[in-house]
Amino acid sequence: MAIRLDVTTPLLVRLMALAVLVLVPAMALLSFSSLDHFERGLAPEFNRKAVAVGHDLSDDFERAVAYGIPLDGLVGVQEFLAPALEANAELRYIAVSDAVGKVLYILGAAAGDLEPYYRGADAEKIAAGQAVVFGDYVDVAVPLMVKGQLVGRLHVGMDAGYLRHRFAEMLTDVGVVMVVSLLLGFEILLFVVVVNVSGPLGQAGRVFERVERGDFAHLAWVASQDEVGRFLRRINASIRAADDFFRRLMAYIDEVKSAHFEPSVVEQVALIEARVKFLFRFNAKGAPEPVFERHAVDVRLALFLFVFAEELSRPFLPLFIRTLPGQVPWLFPEMAMAVPIAVFMAFIAVASPWAGAITERLGSRRVFLVGLVPAVLGFVGAGLASSVAEMVVARAATGFGYALITMAAQGYMARSIRSRARTQGLGLFVGAVLTASVCGMALGGVLVDRVGFENVFFTAAGIAVVSGLLAHRLPDPPEERRDVATPGFGDLVELLKNWRFSMLMVFAAMPAKLALTGVVFFLVPLSMADQGLGFGDIARALMVYAVTVVALAPLVSRLADRTGWRAGLVALGGLIGGVGLLAPLIGPGPIPLLVALLCLGVSQGLAASTQLAVIPDICWIECRTMGQTNVFAQVRLLERFGSVAGPLLAAALVPFVGYSGAIAALGTLVVAMAVIFALASLSFGSGPHISSEEGA
Amino acid sequence: MTRFLARKVAATLLLILFCTVAITSFFTYSRLESVLSSLVESRYGVLLYSVKHDVEARLNLGFPLKQLRSIQDGIDREKPSEPDILDIEVFDARGEVLFDTDRGGIGTMAPVEWVRSAAAGGALFSHGDDDARAVGLPLINSLGQVEGAVVLRYPAGYLDEQLSPVIAQLAKEGGLLLLAAALAALLGSYLLFRPVGDSLTAMEAILDTPPEERFAGLDPDASFEERFTAFAAKTREAMDHMRDAAQDVERLDRLL
Repeated sequence: MAIRLDVTTPLLVRLMALAVLVLVPAMALLSFSSLDHFERGLAPEFNRKAVAVGHDLSDDFERAVAYGIPLDGLVGVQEFLAPALEANAELRYIAVSDAVGKVLYILGAAAGDLEPYYRGADAEKIAAGQAVVFGDYVDVAVPLMVKGQLVGRLHVGMDAGYLRHRFAEMLTDVGVVMVVSLLLGFEILLFVVVVNVSGPLGQAGRVFERVERGDFAHLAWVASQDEVGRFLRRINASIRAADDFFRRLMAYIDEVKSAHFEPSVVEQVALIEARVKFLFRFNAKGAPEPVFERHAVDVRLALFLFVFAEELSRPFLPLFIRTLPGQVPWLFPEMAMAVPIAVFMAFIAVASPWAGAITERLGSRRVFLVGLVPAVLGFVGAGLASSVAEMVVARAATGFGYALITMAAQGYMARSIRSRARTQGLGLFVGAVLTASVCGMALGGVLVDRVGFENVFFTAAGIAVVSGLLAHRLPDPPEERRDVATPGFGDLVELLKNWRFSMLMVFAAMPAKLALTGVVFFLVPLSMADQGLGFGDIARALMVYAVTVVALAPLVSRLADRTGWRAGLVALGGLIGGVGLLAPLIGPGPIPLLVALLCLGVSQGLAASTQLAVIPDICWIECRTMGQTNVFAQVRLLERFGSVAGPLLAAALVPFVGYSGAIAALGTLVVAMAVIFALASLSFGSGPHISSEEGA
Repeated sequence: MTRFLARKVAATLLLILFCTVAITSFFTYSRLESVLSSLVESRYGVLLYSVKHDVEARLNLGFPLKQLRSIQDGIDREKPSEPDILDIEVFDARGEVLFDTDRGGIGTMAPVEWVRSAAAGGALFSHGDDDARAVGLPLINSLGQVEGAVVLRYPAGYLDEQLSPVIAQLAKEGGLLLLAAALAALLGSYLLFRPVGDSLTAMEAILDTPPEERFAGLDPDASFEERFTAFAAKTREAMDHMRDAAQDVERLDRLL
């Protein structure tokens, strides 16, 4: 079947299918093969452990028999064996048999289950000291010798599935890496397809449309040397040939018009000139110009990698802060853990409006690269931090960089989006951030177990640098730069006078962020660690939230663009998220937390991009007077008040109501806010709102 | 014809594949090492518990650790039971080594981190450096005070020795799988991008002999190829028109 060359999806779908075909079977085979090899390779060490336990216990039995106590006349044997069984998780039973295999004492299994083996065909192997597998057990026997005589055997029974169980955890890690690889692969392949194939050919398609209307003024932008690049050059050569012919013709016509003595000839030549110019349009600047077209995907991979780097620390950040030696004496522990997270959010909040303005002024590429400097220094600083204060400084630097980078990326995407696909376009930004969150959280949880807290931050710094290398190649046309003022407090006040905007911010956007940072970033990792769960488990739980958002966001974007029911979806999201956060009241354990995360994921999936998309409707005037980027910057600023408040409020609640109580308390607050917004949104109406219309 | 696009995509797929395999291998290796070291440490832990049990029984009788000369005989007796043990030593709460199967170690100070781990009074602790790994247990008297610790050292290379045959076998299998996957990626990319390249080449050929029919206008949903054909026809039309115009101008120019 022929592939549409100028459309991304068909080619991307095929490439992803190829990536899955290449990656999944290879990794699955390798993983299962590893499992078998590991089990076989570690079996001798496993058996040695059984022998060590057997030898340790056998000395006492041999001593007792040597003192003249018959082996079958010992008392308190079960009590003697019990501590050894309890202290070794892989042991299933310990038994003592006589020289012919009759079980005298046993702890952990039934004598009847083992005796047939001890007296049957396996007796020779047992006598030879070999490990023998009985159903679910691996039996290792140590002879009890007194004065050179065999008086019995001490059997140590190990769990045959113990090693497989230990390595099964490895399969979970491999699964996580696979998912992350495929998502990352999707991002990279999307970038490759758009930059190399569908982007340039889509642009060529628009050049064709112009030419078809007789417009030869523009060329396709060519940046590659491959088949697509060669094809575009050939297209441009045709346009240039026509342009060249036109200019020679015009020069000839000018010559005839100026030099010919016969006025009727001049008149007819002028008519020919007019006809040609009427039918075809050529560039007035003297040559056709290449048309540069930006694609939102250009910046998406760089943004993805940066957010991925930032999210690596998500599953353990509060727990890492708790381990820092230099604690703040005047802050209670939960608050000390919350402050660096809140400061990170505060710096994003404060820097975002300014970042939006300088993105307009300096261009996305430069702002992205400038933002990387504090971000990378912040990552390195967090890795080197030895006190909460140092951590606060490091997170502040990363937060500042994060604001610059995300605003630069958002500005870049906003310029490349046509308004009719506004929600889908913003969904591209939100999608990149959320997919990166999934990958970052998942890999961070696995990575921290292997390399430690500090090295995860250093890894994040390395990945951020790679994102900078990608951002460095972004097109940055100077003509797109505009000198805009940094949005000030006045702009914010002006925006807040718009009641629809105020309602959206105070009762939907801010509570959503409050729940996100307070619950997902702060309370869930702490609560799960408190329940004895590891970083990998925390990461996988947080993935429930992020995967739900990723799965829902594009569907909701399409639904919102199609129906225009944006405010309603935001209200519905708030209600679902708030109610879900009440789940930990049901009882302890990870399940209520997973339910809360799932509901919060549904909530954010419904509201995240819809919330941004509703802004141009309810702030129609403001978007035109202040600029859409600046309005979005103010949105980010207000949202971040919720983000800052989230961990601080959660930390303040924990000493009084515990982790589950704090989650439920935040849930109650979110529900109350969502109800108010839902009622208010009934009066929002639809389409752009212009204040003069309302006044009329 | 060289398939540049196919090469780019294949390189991308291979990069993703190699990164995935590299990260997975790292995680898998560290999981394997962690399971093996926990097995080895728990095996040595059995021996250490035996020593600890004996020493603490004597401490509970009120003897100071330094005076328990029988400890030296005990650890000397235990050491040969495991051929890989480098030495077993007992140090006091300050870190001074009181008894050691390696007599030269007696009187020296134990590493600070061992002393710190012992002082924590928990269960089995372990530390490692380039040469050796150490497993230890704190010695605690009946009052709950840490009197010191018994530590066993084994060669750091022991784990590598145990792991290397498994890793070598897996590396061989993994290499073959990776090769197969890389070939699949190359072949898949080539097959996927051959039609793209062919389609573009075919369109380029049209530019040499553009269609003569005039297009009345394109459907907005026209395919890329249809829009290209319209482009080629329009270009030809423009060239033809301007050529005719040039001939007309030339004819008029010649008029006296």
